[in-house]
Amino acid sequence: QVSELVQFLLVKDQKKMPIKRTEMLKNVIHSTAAYSEIVNRAGRTLQEVFGLQLVEIDTKRHTYILINNLPRAEGQYLCRDKEKEKMGLLLVILSFIFMKGNSVKDSALWEFLNLLRVYPGKQHRVFGDVRKLVTDEFARQKYLEITPIPLTDPTEFKYQWGPRAEKETSRKDVLKFVAKVR
Amino acid sequence: ENREAMLNSKSNRLTEALEEANKLFDGVCRAREAALDAQFLVIASNIGKEKANELHSEMSAFDSTAFAEDLLTFMGINRTEVEETDDSEDVPGGFLPSDAWQTMGEEAPKYFRRAPTFHYMMGSFKSEPPVPKQRIERQKKANRGKAERAMPAQLKKMEESHQEATEKEVERILRILQTHFENDPNTPISFFDFVIDPNSFAHTVENMFHVSFLIRDGLAKIKLDEDELPIIEPTKPSGRREEDSRAGARNQVIISLDQREWK
Repeated sequence: QVSELVQFLLVKDQKKMPIKRTEMLKNVIHSTAAYSEIVNRAGRTLQEVFGLQLVEIDTKRHTYILINNLPRAEGQYLCRDKEKEKMGLLLVILSFIFMKGNSVKDSALWEFLNLLRVYPGKQHRVFGDVRKLVTDEFARQKYLEITPIPLTDPTEFKYQWGPRAEKETSRKDVLKFVAKVR
Repeated sequence: ENREAMLNSKSNRLTEALEEANKLFDGVCRAREAALDAQFLVIASNIGKEKANELHSEMSAFDSTAFAEDLLTFMGINRTEVEETDDSEDVPGGFLPSDAWQTMGEEAPKYFRRAPTFHYMMGSFKSEPPVPKQRIERQKKANRGKAERAMPAQLKKMEESHQEATEKEVERILRILQTHFENDPNTPISFFDFVIDPNSFAHTVENMFHVSFLIRDGLAKIKLDEDELPIIEPTKPSGRREEDSRAGARNQVIISLDQREWK
């Protein structure tokens, strides 16, 4: 059952959406008693065989993500261009949020992105519907945490680093990026 | 209201509003008014927090516009050419190449510890099984076809034989009766002698069953003789037809026979 769970997690991670405990119980494990043991063993397998870490990002709702535990390899990455470009945009957004004190208003973020020729209302040549990419995909993948600001009308949102961003990168690394670009 | 005005760090509007609220509170004597005052305080503190944030970012050396410019440079913007688009005028001039974000994409993964997307090396399992499956399916279909054909044939045979059996039996009995009568033309046979099988009760019943068919079809007659015992004789072919046309007298004989009697 452990290997079944490992395979389940690997496949589920393809879209980078967090994996819920309920999904694991429903599809693979079928027994709440053995749950933690199986999850622990699966985590060990993932680490030893694939070099991936199974991290619980929400202890209340029990959702998990997979991150890469291996040191970054030098040289060109073989992954697809689309994914890399999205990561480029994400990195830019994360560095902006960080440099602005870890939390920005949506208006400030889009003002900044406009400077980079990225507009929420306009279809982007590379990203398509950028607003959807940022507010929907990045948020659901837990790279960004978007919360409404209370007592605002119309509702404004604030953008912060999401739990996946916290795990997959660090403020130190992002700072290095900012310094590199300058 | 007037949020932007209050947020402006140079203005004291927020302080003024707080002081005014303080004064107003002295005149409060209803709970509802106090609630309004509380609401105002919440909003005021939110604005105060935002102001503090703004203050912080202004004191830091981070200039987002400059950062944006640096990013564009990193992505390979060509500032000598002017891009002809209908963008708004506050966008910095310069031609952003189409692979701008690819350049960014080359740099970005270095900063993320992202698990590589999992893909099956062999693709989804479609390659081999279908071929033998088709062959097996074809064979199975062939077999099934034959089996089915065999089945209806068998069934038909059975049904035929079933019907035939009865008819054959009836015919057989008729022939026996006729043969007897040929040998002895004027003596009808005792019914009981004819049908009873001394060895098997079931067979006796069967014989009676077959004889009843003969009677029904008018191929044999049962009469009562001098001793009130039933006798059976085959009807003559011509006689039969006459009888039919007469819509004739067909008597029914009910015989009950149980095992004891039979014995």
